[in-house]
Amino acid sequence: MVLAGGMLLTMLLTAQANEAREIVLKANDMVNLASMEMNATLKIYDAKGNVRIRKVKDVTRTFNEIVKTKITFLSPADVAGTTMLIYDYKAKDDDMWIYLPSMRNTRRIVSSDKGKNFMGSEFSNADMSKPNPDDYTYSVLGSKNYSGKDCWMVESICKTEAIADGCGYSRKISYIEKSTSLTHRMEFFNADNILFKVMTFNEYKKMADGYFACYMEIKNLANGRRSEMVVDVLKSGSDLNETSFSAVNLGK
Amino acid sequence: MKHDLFIVRHRKWFIFFPLVITVLMLIPLVKARVNTNLMDYLPDDIASKINLDKLEQQFGKYDPVMVIFECEDVLQPITLERIRMLDKVFNRSDKIEKVLSVYELKYIRNVEGSMLVDPVVKRIPESAESCESLRLEIKDNPLVYNLLVSKDFTCTLMLLNPVETCSDKELVELIRQTLKDTPGEERVYVGGLPTLRYDIQRIAIRDILILMPLGLFIMLLTLYFSFRERKGVLLPFSIVCMSIVVAMGLMPLLGFDFSLIAVLVPVMMIAIANNYGVHLMTRYQELNVIHPRWGMKRIVNESVKKLFMPIILTALTTIVGVLGLLSHVMIPPRQMGIVTSAGIFFALLTSLTFMPAVMSGVKKGKASKHFNETPNDLIGKFLSWAGRVVTGNPRTVIAVFTLFVVLSGIGMTRLKVTINQDEMMPVNNPLRQSVALLNQQFGGTKSLSVLFEGDIKSPEVLQAMDRFGSDVKKIPEVSNVTSLATVIRTMSKAMNKPEDAFYNKIPDDRDAIAQYIELYTMSGDPSDFEQMVDFDYTRSVVTVQFRANIYKSYKKTESAIQQLASDIPYCTLIAGQSQIEKELADAVITGQISSLLFALIAIILLLWLIFRSLRAGLMGSIPLVVSLVCTFGLMGWFGLQLDIATSLLSSIAIGLGVDYTIHLFWRMNHELLHGKSWNDAITYTLRTTGRGIAINAFSVMVGFAVLLFSGLTILKAFGFLIIFSLLLCLLCALILIPALLKLGQPTFLFIPSKYQTD
Repeated sequence: MVLAGGMLLTMLLTAQANEAREIVLKANDMVNLASMEMNATLKIYDAKGNVRIRKVKDVTRTFNEIVKTKITFLSPADVAGTTMLIYDYKAKDDDMWIYLPSMRNTRRIVSSDKGKNFMGSEFSNADMSKPNPDDYTYSVLGSKNYSGKDCWMVESICKTEAIADGCGYSRKISYIEKSTSLTHRMEFFNADNILFKVMTFNEYKKMADGYFACYMEIKNLANGRRSEMVVDVLKSGSDLNETSFSAVNLGK
Repeated sequence: MKHDLFIVRHRKWFIFFPLVITVLMLIPLVKARVNTNLMDYLPDDIASKINLDKLEQQFGKYDPVMVIFECEDVLQPITLERIRMLDKVFNRSDKIEKVLSVYELKYIRNVEGSMLVDPVVKRIPESAESCESLRLEIKDNPLVYNLLVSKDFTCTLMLLNPVETCSDKELVELIRQTLKDTPGEERVYVGGLPTLRYDIQRIAIRDILILMPLGLFIMLLTLYFSFRERKGVLLPFSIVCMSIVVAMGLMPLLGFDFSLIAVLVPVMMIAIANNYGVHLMTRYQELNVIHPRWGMKRIVNESVKKLFMPIILTALTTIVGVLGLLSHVMIPPRQMGIVTSAGIFFALLTSLTFMPAVMSGVKKGKASKHFNETPNDLIGKFLSWAGRVVTGNPRTVIAVFTLFVVLSGIGMTRLKVTINQDEMMPVNNPLRQSVALLNQQFGGTKSLSVLFEGDIKSPEVLQAMDRFGSDVKKIPEVSNVTSLATVIRTMSKAMNKPEDAFYNKIPDDRDAIAQYIELYTMSGDPSDFEQMVDFDYTRSVVTVQFRANIYKSYKKTESAIQQLASDIPYCTLIAGQSQIEKELADAVITGQISSLLFALIAIILLLWLIFRSLRAGLMGSIPLVVSLVCTFGLMGWFGLQLDIATSLLSSIAIGLGVDYTIHLFWRMNHELLHGKSWNDAITYTLRTTGRGIAINAFSVMVGFAVLLFSGLTILKAFGFLIIFSLLLCLLCALILIPALLKLGQPTFLFIPSKYQTD
């Protein structure tokens, strides 16, 4: 009797975990990052409310399962033309190059840490790329109405400490709209289970092969800083060929 | 009955009121706050504090705890693993805003054409080769070598800056507990100002809890051995207890925090507040011997009448001396001056009211043997000897004192002022050991921040910053200079090959600098720059670290840095905790001088007024001058430095020390006016009033002696020095002054004082 009860409970839990994973995978698939072009404004606020504004052009295409992203600064003037090229591999650390127009020179920069801040903002590099679903265990915490939308609250816990160190948090709770599978809010918790970052997604735009949030905001509760990413122009797909995504052609 | 004093007639009221006041003064003590932050001891409007405030408004408060790990080689895996675990725990803590360690600071370098920005220690080396290559990397890193890792690799530092809401107690206890939970073979020293403040607070509270009862107990013993009579013990004791409550209760009542030197308030009360009662008790015992048939009330009446004026005058001089502290630059000495003088005033009032009121209602004791012609106790024998020496060889006495003063006085030329707050702690305290290590193994404990204002990304400003850094490094005491220019230079080395034009230099192009900075924020952590440059790149800080353990060397280094900064138009401010420490030292010097002059002049004027002779004023100040010259000379000879506590010495010594001379003059005047010869007057005065003076002085010294059990070195030193200076005042009053009187035979002692009651 006890054994049967235990088995039933295990089955229920497994089914629930599978359901949570499915919800997250579907939510990930709703967002298209594989091929697109956009112009965006990144606003970086410090704790006192001072703002630093960066305008960038971001082009992403996927070649042979390698997501290649080219980010070019449009403003401010002193960094305009500075271009960053990132190769996001599934199985190994990213490759990163930078072209500095003042030196007319491309240099490789090495950084394996996805938990690092994205372009000096409160967004991390991990926030800007699709997570590997196998890095987490999932569970549905329940349902919640968030901004008038009926959402699942799905918890993703990093499977290992190394994964947690890499992405900069140990667990997160995603608010995924039941009807659309779009994520509207993410809450990030540190190893002491303290909520330290909240990221919100707004103004989803439907594209040919998915959705993209044109307004993202992240608040760091620990240091009082926040950042906004506003997409000014968004285009699905990109005409740039693979040669344009090579380090040697960065300054051209 | 009608001849009885008003106090004796209405004795119940004079017993009741002081007790009620004492009970009422206990109430504010509930609200008492302890503040051991030395920086708060200076007024807010002093230049160094204003400068630091300006800097902290721009760059946030940086007041970290320093944890030093010491072992044979800090790069050994076991040590690096321990530091990694601690780094992780501290980074997770919501009480710590920023952790700086070898796992946080960056190593920017060029590897096969790539710029690498990684933590100094990214992985724990697994082989001897990888360990040696890490060693070479650290040696090559100007942001870490000699700053976070010592040159011989035996020490490494971790800096933990708290969030603003975290108290010193929470922070230090968290760090100490975490270190305990993560044990290792390394010797660990926890230092930094939060630790110093927390430890001083703990010791100061412990001191109050231990020293006060100890002082009271020792005082009880002293009174017992002096008077061997229950009322002789309990009455002065109760006056001391009441005065302590009044003085301490007054602090929260007036909105004063308990500072580090507030520990001295109860000790001073123990030492001073029984003075007046002791004199009354001595006179009572003397009259009991001379007039064995007199009743208690008559003895009390006579004692109060005879001693009323000298007691008031001695209390007044003590109050004036202590009030000299009001001219001190620092806040706690001023507050101490106020509450201590209020406490002394209360002791004076109760000695002249409460004590006679109680005494008049109790039985008379047995006649004391101390006032016999041939005294057999130590004090009596000493006083008889002093009488013989002074009357027999006054010139020899003066010569011996002069020689002693000259020899001691030479030591004054060696007197130094401390600029190291850690020296308040005992030598074996981990905090002091951490300071010693910072001086031996790292770039020293002093640092100044030089603020540059302008377009920080412009080559002119950054190159000026770079040149300033190079020039400052030429000052011998300076060990490290870090600035945004250092980072840009390091990046230029990582981004370019040695043969490139951009290699190891600040670019001449503003855009190139902007792009370097942008690049860093992409590959490193943007918060790495927070301590160096403000958000909109209009202000940047150059940090200069140097070794300067003595005031003179600090002043020399600071003025050299100021001189270099004054040549650069972008340098707008120099600030730092070290600057406040120096201003604290300046305050110690000026406070010492101003309170000394104030007290000395006031005492001369008071004596002039009392004895209606300037000569009395000048002569009365001789013991004070002798005592202070010898005390400061002794400090010079023994290497004891002037600090916040010893800067109180002169006022307190003057206020207390002059009492002995006043009592002596008073009795001499009385005896001479009653026809005694100089020799008889001196011998008799020493045997009678001299006894009161000696008991009084010893009870004061014994009171201060409890400071020798303090956990704080500066209070121990203060205790030792105040005892020494009071001993000298006593010896001067009992030996030197009578010798000078015998030789000079001044006329002012023949003038009937208008304050004499008979």
